[in-house]
Amino acid sequence: MGRVPGTRIVVEGLSHGYRSAAGDVSVLDGLDLVVEPAAHVALTGASGSGKSTLLCILGGLEVPQQGSVRVGDQDLAGLSRIELAAFRRETVGFVFQHFGLLEALTAAENVELACSLAGVRPAERRRRAAELLEAVDLGDRARHRPIELSGGERQRVAIARALANHPELILADEPTGNLDQASTERVVALLERLPADHGCTLVIVTHDPAIAARARRSLRLVEGRLVERPAAGPGVAAVGATRS
Amino acid sequence: MTWFDAIRLAVRTVRGRPGRAVLTVVAVALAAALLTALLTISTTAETRVLDQLSTGGPLAGIKVAAAAPDPTQIDQDNAKPGRPKALDAAAVRRIQGLPNVRAVVPVVSAPVLVLTSTRTKGGHRLNPFFDQVVGVDLTKIAQLPVTLVAGQLPALDSLSQVAVTEGYLERLGLSRLDAPRVVGTTVVLASPRLVNDGGQTRYQGRWVKMSIVGVVAQDAGDGQFLATTAAVTQARDWSASGDDHGRLLGQDSNGVVSPYAGLFVVARGLDNVAKVRLEITAVGYSTSAPENLIASVRRYLRVVEIVLSAVGLIALLVAALGITNAMLAAVRERRREIGVLKAIGARDRDIYRTFLLEAATLGFIGGALGAFVGWLIALAVAAVVNGYLAQQRLSGIHVSLPLSVIVGVLAGSTLLAFAAGILPAARAARMPAREAVSGV
Repeated sequence: MGRVPGTRIVVEGLSHGYRSAAGDVSVLDGLDLVVEPAAHVALTGASGSGKSTLLCILGGLEVPQQGSVRVGDQDLAGLSRIELAAFRRETVGFVFQHFGLLEALTAAENVELACSLAGVRPAERRRRAAELLEAVDLGDRARHRPIELSGGERQRVAIARALANHPELILADEPTGNLDQASTERVVALLERLPADHGCTLVIVTHDPAIAARARRSLRLVEGRLVERPAAGPGVAAVGATRS
Repeated sequence: MTWFDAIRLAVRTVRGRPGRAVLTVVAVALAAALLTALLTISTTAETRVLDQLSTGGPLAGIKVAAAAPDPTQIDQDNAKPGRPKALDAAAVRRIQGLPNVRAVVPVVSAPVLVLTSTRTKGGHRLNPFFDQVVGVDLTKIAQLPVTLVAGQLPALDSLSQVAVTEGYLERLGLSRLDAPRVVGTTVVLASPRLVNDGGQTRYQGRWVKMSIVGVVAQDAGDGQFLATTAAVTQARDWSASGDDHGRLLGQDSNGVVSPYAGLFVVARGLDNVAKVRLEITAVGYSTSAPENLIASVRRYLRVVEIVLSAVGLIALLVAALGITNAMLAAVRERRREIGVLKAIGARDRDIYRTFLLEAATLGFIGGALGAFVGWLIALAVAAVVNGYLAQQRLSGIHVSLPLSVIVGVLAGSTLLAFAAGILPAARAARMPAREAVSGV
């Protein structure tokens, strides 16, 4: 598998909120963050603290309302819908708690789908899907549908799909939230290897302190701002994060 | 994402959700079946009606009389002929050589005195009566306005077999249903000729006993008896050999007896009938063809077809609304899936395309299923109709599913479903990518 250089994330003064029936709700409030290429960052926080919102903004699923978000050399605030789709396709790989696999497709087809969206030729997609499924130890389950796979296997297929287009950034939203202990261990181990094996930057949102503790850097979202937790690993720097 | 990939994804998605897909496909299939059945039945009805109008012969048939054209009658379907004019071999060759003429079948006829021992329905003996026996080349029967009602046609080389028309049945007080009763009976046809016997003119008869082998509806010539050309030519030759030099057969203004009573000319298609009639008129003969009647009937049948199609289309429109509804529900249900597709890089247009193709796939499958079921319905209706026609001693109908109906129903249901998918597809395409994380 080819290594990609990873990407640097720079967030400055990010504020973001939602309009609800009860009024405007501020979720992120002047948040600053710098993540160096190939870093492994865990993001924790209470429910509703804005973890998923931050993940959505970093992944181009949502446009920041205020402040700047730079991923690599791209300023996400200035991208159109089409450019954001291209950014997600070419730069980001998502891993969801709910796996996000299309039930109608087989494991291999789910991986190939990401390639087909990027315009990869059929023969190349098949080769890439086989290679990635082999890498996550699911080479023999390529023709199985998600319903025929265990939770852990589904999540590994999702990781393979996230890697399909050689992303520089992997964003994982509670990737072990629906898994048992054994599967959790296997998935986390797989994710943890990504920065080293693929050179991509990894940001994991998690409620699990054990998983957060295994990251080289752990951040906690409190009242819309990031609070740096100890044990920051090498190659990681925070701007404006408050040391707890 | 290419169109091919989008089609594959759409088909796989439809297959992957059989529960929802089946109900939607059934709705489309029912509508498509209705449309197919109505169109097939109306097309068959049109064929049947036009067949009846042409008494089984080709619709593009033109009758040519052994008479000059009457200028006031040229545009009439049943033109009254002008003065008698001999129709000889030279005229036949000339007409055969006209452009847009596919075939020319000569018709001969001869006067006969008819004696029959068959009693009327009331049990009375029928008095002898004069009529005409019509002779045609029976190998070309398919090109003539002749329909077999009962029995069979005379053998190709027979001099003693004859088929009778419904006019003969009427003389006996019989209806078409009674046609088989006269098959197998005999009739004596006496061809007359005038002879001078010592200054006295009297008739001599050539008596031929003929077997009635069938009953036909025919419009090839005027007469209640249909026989082979050879049989009728013998009768004519006898009548022409009298001392009046064939005046019994009728002569034109030049005193010539026409060898043919008329011709049946087949034009190359209905559109050429008027043209060929004008050309034959220019050659100098009176023509008649039911072209105006057929055109009027076709117009009425077209209106019926449009009305029936409209009924089917309304059903398809209702089914299309069902597709829209089902697809809107699918979009609501699949918010997270749409979000995931966007998260892995799908553009709005990829989502739009996939949902449109999903709708089109439902329409195509429903259309194909509906066309098949509609054809079965048309066959069932035809079976019932044929049962009734058989009771009435009428020839049955043959239902065939025209390719144009299959293509039309398939294309119509697919395009309509495609259109029905526009709103749900647009809604899916506009859905925020964030649904990947927050959707349920």
